[in-house]
Amino acid sequence: MDQPVLKVNNLQTYFTSDAGVVKAVDGVSFEVSKGETLGIVGESGSGKSVTSLSIMRLLKDTPGRIADGEILYEGRDLVKISENDMRKIRGNDIAMIFQEPMTSLNPVFKIGRQLEEAIILHLKFSKKEARERSIEMLTSVGISRPEKIVHEFPHQLSGGMRQRVMIAMAMACNPKVLIADEPTTALDVTIQAQILDLMRNLTKTTDTAILLITHDLGVVAEMCDRVVVMYGGRAVEESDVLSIFANPKHPYTQGLLASIPKIGERLDRLQSIPGNVPIPSRMPEGCKFAPRCPHAMDICWEKEPEYKEVITNHSVRCWLHEEVPQDESELVGSTQH
Amino acid sequence: MSQNLLEVHNIKKYFPIKKKLFSKKKEFIKAVDGISFTVKKGETLSIVGESGCGKSTTGRVLMKLLEATEGKIVFEGNDITGLSDDEIRPLRKEFQMVFQDPYASLNPRLTVKEIIEEPLIVHNIDKAKRADRVVELLEVVGLNKYHANRYPHEFSGGQRQRIGIARALAVNPKLIIADEPVSALDVSIQSQILNLLKDLQEKYDLTYIFIAHDLSVVEHISDRVAVMYLGRLVELTTRDELFATPLHPYTKALLSAVPVPDPTVKRNRIILKGDIPSPAAPPSGCTFHTRCPFAQDRCREQIPEFREIEKEHFVACHFAEELGS
Repeated sequence: MDQPVLKVNNLQTYFTSDAGVVKAVDGVSFEVSKGETLGIVGESGSGKSVTSLSIMRLLKDTPGRIADGEILYEGRDLVKISENDMRKIRGNDIAMIFQEPMTSLNPVFKIGRQLEEAIILHLKFSKKEARERSIEMLTSVGISRPEKIVHEFPHQLSGGMRQRVMIAMAMACNPKVLIADEPTTALDVTIQAQILDLMRNLTKTTDTAILLITHDLGVVAEMCDRVVVMYGGRAVEESDVLSIFANPKHPYTQGLLASIPKIGERLDRLQSIPGNVPIPSRMPEGCKFAPRCPHAMDICWEKEPEYKEVITNHSVRCWLHEEVPQDESELVGSTQH
Repeated sequence: MSQNLLEVHNIKKYFPIKKKLFSKKKEFIKAVDGISFTVKKGETLSIVGESGCGKSTTGRVLMKLLEATEGKIVFEGNDITGLSDDEIRPLRKEFQMVFQDPYASLNPRLTVKEIIEEPLIVHNIDKAKRADRVVELLEVVGLNKYHANRYPHEFSGGQRQRIGIARALAVNPKLIIADEPVSALDVSIQSQILNLLKDLQEKYDLTYIFIAHDLSVVEHISDRVAVMYLGRLVELTTRDELFATPLHPYTKALLSAVPVPDPTVKRNRIILKGDIPSPAAPPSGCTFHTRCPFAQDRCREQIPEFREIEKEHFVACHFAEELGS
């Protein structure tokens, strides 16, 4: 792989609330290279969306702040640069697609104007050129009558169309990194298939690096090259997509994979992870997964394990893989079906 | 299993659209446009479809939360269609509903005890019995009796859904209509609730109508599956048949659109063109013809009949025989 375009090092994002400091993201590291799709998987409250907002520096109007860590984009640390410099990067070099296209498009402006805004600002195009570029972008995302659509308002479009517009907007300035935060969660499956197909084709031609944030392991399996699994604000496992699915090392990843119902596979009972997703303000001491973990040992309750590369390109945050590596094969074997 | 608990005959639910002052023609959103099916005692019938297909409206019409525009609903041999609110109330004990959003369907000002107790009060169960019943129900759904005096906001999504299930079970219903009961939950929690629903079905001999959009969940829980598209049923058969040999092109596309959580699988996916048409102006003939890869002239003109082409396998497609083989 080439040099990573985006590299996140030990990111920590904290929120200050009445209940004290909430560590929404606490030690997340990963990198993504040109043309690569990196999946960030996790359940609600795992900190995956806060990670993406931190990268875009969109936490200014929230009680959140980046407490520590680096976000290196082409060697520059985005945590340290000025708001002015960040504005040049945001939407231009790094673009983002959000989950709910209706709330991320401005309801009072026509589609064309919203698309052109970024193009005029970043690419310094004239109005006319910007309109041409918007129409070209809309065509590339498979919208059939782009000349008409630019004159319409977001509410006149269907959910799938809106998400296409969002993608067109994000891709308009040829970003090097595209952050897609649950891009298809609000869509129906047949529309989801269209949008995923579109994202795959677009990035193949432009070589954009994608950070795909999702809770859907099916989407991960189809789209991603590598996967980071998050739990309780931490990265708990990272590897290439094949190893994550074939040979998950963290008990949480194993549980997550076992608990999804799969088409064509009929079990009387689904496997499930007991207990509930932890609330960020009431995080357990030690390993955050210990209260739900079938393999929890004494040390798990006391001390948080480090995030370590246990085999080449496969990192995991778990005591099982630090102290007693010989247990590993047995553990993996027992949870695969 | 053979006895029919519920029979639905050609129900329709039209919502009028407000028209301009002098316009004569009345227009409707045909949310449900003539569907018929039966539910056998003890089985789980799933209704799947995408947003706007009318699956939730169907659930609400069956619950009599909405009055059907046309058609007949027969519950245990009694026609319940025309009954007034007073007449239906004692019958409501027999069918209960579990809702999608566990955050919106529980009253935030009531304690868990009050929430679960409410249907018991409505159905005149005396006070001493009620308290015992609440504790019993909490335990049945995997909660504890010390949860009884807490408020919904103190619970996670999965726990709230358990409370919703306990409330539905309170009056010993025969039929539970579950409208997307797990789609708001995280994957690891989703499977807990699905397992709970299965256990309860066995324990209390419940019949489920399970409304969902997620086919992998549906395959797990159902005995039979009905697929809806724009207010009509397009296919209805046993789970095994549906997943092994789907006949309707929409069912095929829907099945192939589900992402498979296995990176080694590479499939030829059927990607449908376009969006779901608006139910206010459904296409002529077969409503699916605008997106169907096999559409022909006949599909644009003639509404296909919902017919049984094999035993227990109903399809609404003119070319089901040819496409199936």
